[in-house]
Amino acid sequence: MSCSSEYVQLLHKYLDHELTSDEEKIIKEHLHSCEACYQHFHELEKAVAFVQSTSHIEAPLNFTEGVMNSLPKEKRTVSWNR
Amino acid sequence: METLIKKRIKQVKKGDQNAFAEIVDIYKDKIYQLCYRMLGNAHEAEDIAQEAFIRAYVNIHTYDMNKKFSTWLYRIATNLSIDRIRKKKPDFYLDAEVSGTDGLNMYSQVAADVSLPEDELETLELQQTIQGEILKLPDKYRTVIVLKYIDELSLNEISEILTIPVGTVKTRIHRGREALRKQLRHL
Repeated sequence: MSCSSEYVQLLHKYLDHELTSDEEKIIKEHLHSCEACYQHFHELEKAVAFVQSTSHIEAPLNFTEGVMNSLPKEKRTVSWNR
Repeated sequence: METLIKKRIKQVKKGDQNAFAEIVDIYKDKIYQLCYRMLGNAHEAEDIAQEAFIRAYVNIHTYDMNKKFSTWLYRIATNLSIDRIRKKKPDFYLDAEVSGTDGLNMYSQVAADVSLPEDELETLELQQTIQGEILKLPDKYRTVIVLKYIDELSLNEISEILTIPVGTVKTRIHRGREALRKQLRHL
């Protein structure tokens, strides 16, 4: 377990790129001395990297065609709707 | 990019259906990916992604041209995905056993059709494991994690898509990350 939720908050702020330079200093120093927080940080980074590694899929072939074929027929009322 | 999109939307609003095809082409991969990661099933993802584009087309007159089109489209797709998750029977997952096949599941059926080299197979298995862990997240955490890390949207955009404050987005991302950390740390 990590030592305090305050440090864990800072780890998350780091991951969201929201640390002030003071906070960055605090957490960097802390990570050097606290193995539990270092481990926690490492696990968070690993989880994020795993999730990001799944981000390469494409829509199936003929997807656009499928959508276009399912659209309602063009509305003749369009002109007097606006 | 946004200029091109807006030009096409004006054409669609005037009744030119074909102009919509270009919009679908530009966003289909992102929207499909969002639906796939939310639902974990290719067939449902295609269904919901198509539905999202159809709804966008039908409701195009409600889209505010001063706002970013992708935010509006993402909102439609996200809401449809969440609706589907809530309606979905819990036993309808890829790793559920296919009835009458004695331990076979849909993965093994899919895998049997194609032979993959060893390392590709490992990657595929890993990807499926990660996908499975994403699916275990409660939907409000799953949504923000998918939007941030898979569709790579900013916290502000996610806040607009979900119409929740940025602070809430951050809290949910923190909790989602913590849950994933625990689920994925032994991999």
